[in-house]
Amino acid sequence: MGQINLKEMTAISYEKAEIEKGYTDQSLRINLDANDIIIKPIEEKIKDKFIGGKGYDLWLMWNAVSGDTKWNDPENAICISSGPLGGTPGYPGGGKSIVTSISPLTGIPIDSNVGGYFGPYKKFSGFDVLQVDGKAKEDTVILIDGIENRIKIFEAKNLPQDSYELSNSLTHHFDEDKPVNVSVVSAGPGAENTFFGCLNFSWWDAGRKRVRYKQAGRGGIGTVFADKKVKAIVARYAPISMKSNNPSDLDAMKLVTKTYAKEINELDPKQNRMALVGTTHIVPIMNDHDCLPVNNFKFGSHPKSKLIGEEAFELIFDKGFDGCWKGCAVACSHGVKDFSPFTGPYKGKKVFVDGPEYETVAGCGSNLGIFDAQTILEINFYCDAYGMDTISVGTSIGFVMECFENSQITTKHTNGMDLSFGNRFNTLEIIHQMAKGEGFGIIVGKGVRKMKEIFAKDFGADMAFMQDIGMESKGLEFSEYITKESLAQQGGYGLALKGPQHDEAWLIFLDMVHNFMPSFEDKAEALHWFPMFRTWFGLCGLCKLPWNDVVPEDNKDNPEPAKVVKHIGWYADFFSAITGKKTDSDGLIAMSEAVYNFQRVFNLKMGYGTREHDTIPYRAMGPVTEEEYESRQELYDTQLKEKYSMDISGMDTKKKTAVLREKREEQYELLTDAVYERRGWTKNGIPTVKTVKRLGIDFPEVLEILKKSGVE
Amino acid sequence: MIEVDEKELQWSNNLTIAALLKTLDNVEFCSVVRLNGRLVSSPKFKETIIPDNSKIQLLPLVAGG
Repeated sequence: MGQINLKEMTAISYEKAEIEKGYTDQSLRINLDANDIIIKPIEEKIKDKFIGGKGYDLWLMWNAVSGDTKWNDPENAICISSGPLGGTPGYPGGGKSIVTSISPLTGIPIDSNVGGYFGPYKKFSGFDVLQVDGKAKEDTVILIDGIENRIKIFEAKNLPQDSYELSNSLTHHFDEDKPVNVSVVSAGPGAENTFFGCLNFSWWDAGRKRVRYKQAGRGGIGTVFADKKVKAIVARYAPISMKSNNPSDLDAMKLVTKTYAKEINELDPKQNRMALVGTTHIVPIMNDHDCLPVNNFKFGSHPKSKLIGEEAFELIFDKGFDGCWKGCAVACSHGVKDFSPFTGPYKGKKVFVDGPEYETVAGCGSNLGIFDAQTILEINFYCDAYGMDTISVGTSIGFVMECFENSQITTKHTNGMDLSFGNRFNTLEIIHQMAKGEGFGIIVGKGVRKMKEIFAKDFGADMAFMQDIGMESKGLEFSEYITKESLAQQGGYGLALKGPQHDEAWLIFLDMVHNFMPSFEDKAEALHWFPMFRTWFGLCGLCKLPWNDVVPEDNKDNPEPAKVVKHIGWYADFFSAITGKKTDSDGLIAMSEAVYNFQRVFNLKMGYGTREHDTIPYRAMGPVTEEEYESRQELYDTQLKEKYSMDISGMDTKKKTAVLREKREEQYELLTDAVYERRGWTKNGIPTVKTVKRLGIDFPEVLEILKKSGVE
Repeated sequence: MIEVDEKELQWSNNLTIAALLKTLDNVEFCSVVRLNGRLVSSPKFKETIIPDNSKIQLLPLVAGG
């Protein structure tokens, strides 16, 4: 690889907007068709209604796309925003970017919340939100330089192909002396050749003197990025301080930041130890509660899981500060240095692996029958470097493996590869193939929903069986939790706006372990409140983890411990201190509810957003196969007898599996009814006119879309 | 003696985690504890015997990823 070659195509100088109470009140649009750079003010009424972050992203996208827009149409936009609270150094989880686009997997808006420094750097450079649309003719790099107040679009040649090298090269290219001033967003070859490409958001790790990155993983935004021929977007900014957001009440902001960070520093070592083991502590806990996906979500535990949990990774992770935002006390973004892959282009070289987190361990480990930390690290490394979402990769390959073991597909279709569970070499081979767009990897890279169609049409596989075991909803692959025994979490996945990702609601323990929500109404209330509150993090540029992964010592004495009420109060204080708009916990929910319902109507605009799209595969509800039933026979038999008052004495496993299924599917429909009612939606899952009016999102186009769907 | 969340408590022979929790207030949302540094989940509370001089931390409500 020679010297990278960046040819300037367009450049502008701009006067940087002064930041005021967390906002610049400006958007930046890059149109790649014409290499246009457009700076526009954000109206006050949009600010009031959409708050920032995902709210701004969705509003810009709403105006960019029509109902007919497909993911690879030029008008599809990638929007990135950090929110009004993003960018305060030392505030736990305070540096997130929220990225949206129309997803190649689902056809509806996808959103992904990601760390790294890009979002705050972009905002402090003068722009609350970035919109990239159109399609470049040649490989393109975009630079937002908030130090020199310049925006440039380059035609790029000789760039490294993968994100690992590309982030590093561009960081040094744009600020060799102070690489900490640079954050790079990039994809990779896997994003070009699959539908689940991710984006890597970088930051400079001053302690280790190297580029690190986190992923905007879900829904294939990296694929859209690659399709637009964007190789990278770079933000350059300095300096960052507590005053960077120009908060309304600096002292109040400092106080809540200090209080929150102090609590985490004090309590995390006594609780989940995330600063030491990240989210890998979840592995043994999920395993012990039968919630760890094993072999394509067929089982919930495995005796070898201890080999891939916190005990293993505590020893492997490189010691040092691992915050993906400056001074974050949670500091959970761990990595492994001097890792030497045994396959692929980096075979035998020493690399730094950013991760793994729980989702990657579960999705690319236990779910594939792989209980080997080294293999998981290698999968993690290549997925990141290639720009592929580890969740979709894990869930898709798990589906392939179960199809292979059930002879739905054979070596004839896989080009001779044995894709049985546990085959780590061929798992890696598939990943390399996906990245290169070669062999059977081309098909796997299309995701579970498309694979079902191909396997049925071209390979003669049984569609009904694949519908049951293919872990996708709305076209998005499930994240990595077994939900069979938690009806509330089945709703948490199936009724989530973008598809089955747990960032809207994670209710498994409240429901399954503690039986905190016995009635449908209780579950519906939780499936209203939690998605609304969790949405708020995405509006403001924050991370969810500090909220409830480290909790106050007296939280257990609160009547609603799951809400972590003291922290919600701190979030309200933080919002008030920065924006100057006094709010409380109800105020936070109200902000989210408008955006949440707007996104639901957006789904409707794109031809989805109704009840038929809120279904989940039966594997997420209960045992599909007799083998699965028998693996927890005592539990299922007891439920049939006690919960459903059935006489099962004459029933064989096949019959019991069938009757249990009937009951569980019925329960899911009843839950759906209750949730829709609580959310103010029709029986078909559409927000009513009364709801959109109450939330102030009754824009003419919204009402028109509702009317077309029979809601007036 | 054992230490539970930094408070000293009396130890007894064959004391299980389940039995210990019965003696504590506001622990209905405790589904995981750290016993001498190792995670123990609620399905194993009844079978896990606490050795004398153990250090136990009651983990907060599990909140997922």
